[in-house]
Amino acid sequence: MQIDWWTLGLQTVNALVLVWLLARFLFRPVANILSERRAEAEKTLDDAAAARKAAESEREKAKAEAAKTAAGRSAVLDAAQKEAEKQKTSLLAAARADADRLRDEAKAAIAGERRAEEKKMSARAGRLSVDIAKRLLERLPDEARIAGFIDGLAEGVAALPEAARAELGDGSGPMTLAAPRALQDAERDACKSALRKALGHDVDIKVAVDPDLIAGLELTGRHASVRNSFRADLEHLQAELTRHDDA
Amino acid sequence: MNGSPLVLEPVFFVGPVPITDPVIVTWVLMAVLALGCAILTRRLKLRPSRTQAALELFVTAIDGQLRDIVGGDTAPYRALIGTILVYVLVANWMSIVPGVEPPTAHIETDAALALIVFGATIWFGVRARGAGGYLKTFAEPSWVMIPLNLVEQITRTFSLIVRLFGNVMSGVFVVGIILSLAGLLVPIPLMALELLTGAVQAYIFAVLAAVFIGAAASEGG
Amino acid sequence: MNWIEIVSIFSAALAVSFGAIGPALGEGRAVAAAMDAIARQPDAAGTLSRTLFVGLAMIETMAIYCLVIALLVLFANPFTS
Repeated sequence: MQIDWWTLGLQTVNALVLVWLLARFLFRPVANILSERRAEAEKTLDDAAAARKAAESEREKAKAEAAKTAAGRSAVLDAAQKEAEKQKTSLLAAARADADRLRDEAKAAIAGERRAEEKKMSARAGRLSVDIAKRLLERLPDEARIAGFIDGLAEGVAALPEAARAELGDGSGPMTLAAPRALQDAERDACKSALRKALGHDVDIKVAVDPDLIAGLELTGRHASVRNSFRADLEHLQAELTRHDDA
Repeated sequence: MNGSPLVLEPVFFVGPVPITDPVIVTWVLMAVLALGCAILTRRLKLRPSRTQAALELFVTAIDGQLRDIVGGDTAPYRALIGTILVYVLVANWMSIVPGVEPPTAHIETDAALALIVFGATIWFGVRARGAGGYLKTFAEPSWVMIPLNLVEQITRTFSLIVRLFGNVMSGVFVVGIILSLAGLLVPIPLMALELLTGAVQAYIFAVLAAVFIGAAASEGG
Repeated sequence: MNWIEIVSIFSAALAVSFGAIGPALGEGRAVAAAMDAIARQPDAAGTLSRTLFVGLAMIETMAIYCLVIALLVLFANPFTS
């Protein structure tokens, strides 16, 4: 066993040189490129993180924007709905008021019409009754149209209050005695005497003809009048009837 | 198979210096490795090509192993350990090239590598702890251990030499014997086994070198 | 052929044969343990087999030492020169 010392030395030098060569040509460049890539990757990761953060904030902003838009839209919708509600209510109220008014008017018109109709009817009834009375009276003797009413007139005068009675026929003014036809003398006398009896003094009587009375007598003074005639009765009756109807 | 596998015959002389077979093979290997690496690493890009990715994977694997063994920053050890691994691997695999004997089949090459590791152990130990601090590690855990520690330094270097030498040389030797006995195809399984042994031995050599250096350089001793 | 050469050949054979026994037993135990471990933890099969290879190479180094000694005795015997 012998060791070739020259070979040993040469191989040692060779190995050292190879270490240097490989370090120079293999390990240093590769290590450099590795660290470079690591730095690059770190930078890329940082960039990506920053970009993601930016995107995140952007999305947040967009979300907030959308929420705001939605809120505005819902507010507008609410307002519109409220407005529509109000309008509807007012329209309804107006329509109801209109309808009420129309109905009231119609009711009033109907009532008025009915009243007018009734008036007309009563007027016709009045005329009819007057006509009936006239016809009936025409059957009576002509005297009865006056004579039958003289007592009634006297009673009416007697029923007047004292002051009115005194005032009637106290000579301050003429009294008008209305009759359906011109009075005959006897009848005028009968009237005068009856009145004298009722009033207690003589009276000056002017006679007026009014065929409308149908039958009876009406005494009209300055301040008071006594009506004792078919017309008065009929009118009274008619008024009574009408009031009754209205009630 | 004429003569001893342990004896080297000089091929030629440069002055008084005999140039032997392993030296020539090592020179060729150096040239090929340096040129190849120079070409491969000439255009390194951030976006790696296939070969660049392979190179990077190789370097990263070495770094990972070194980090496991030595710890801390692996940059100072990377070139030495990586070169030992690459050189031993390629030299061991020279056995499949016809007419070429692996340089590691001769004890001079192994001794040279082990000497470099020995020197690097001292160098990194001194650099990490200072000369006094490094010498003090021989007195650990007590001064009684000093002779043992010294002997350990020698024996582990020697075992490093003999392990690599014995494995590669025995492989070459066995293949040569088989080749002289049987014909053409019989040595192929043995040669394949030799490739596996060569790779494993290269790995072991590099790992042991890293362990020695790391033990010398690490703080705990 | 003298006695020294005869003794050298016999001692070389003895060194290799007996030197192979210990590593053979050791490798057997190592492989058995590795198989057991892989059976227990198939996930760690990669790490285990790598460690196993390294360990086997280490153990085999013992046999290689014996082989080197045998070769030294055969080819570089200091007593035959």
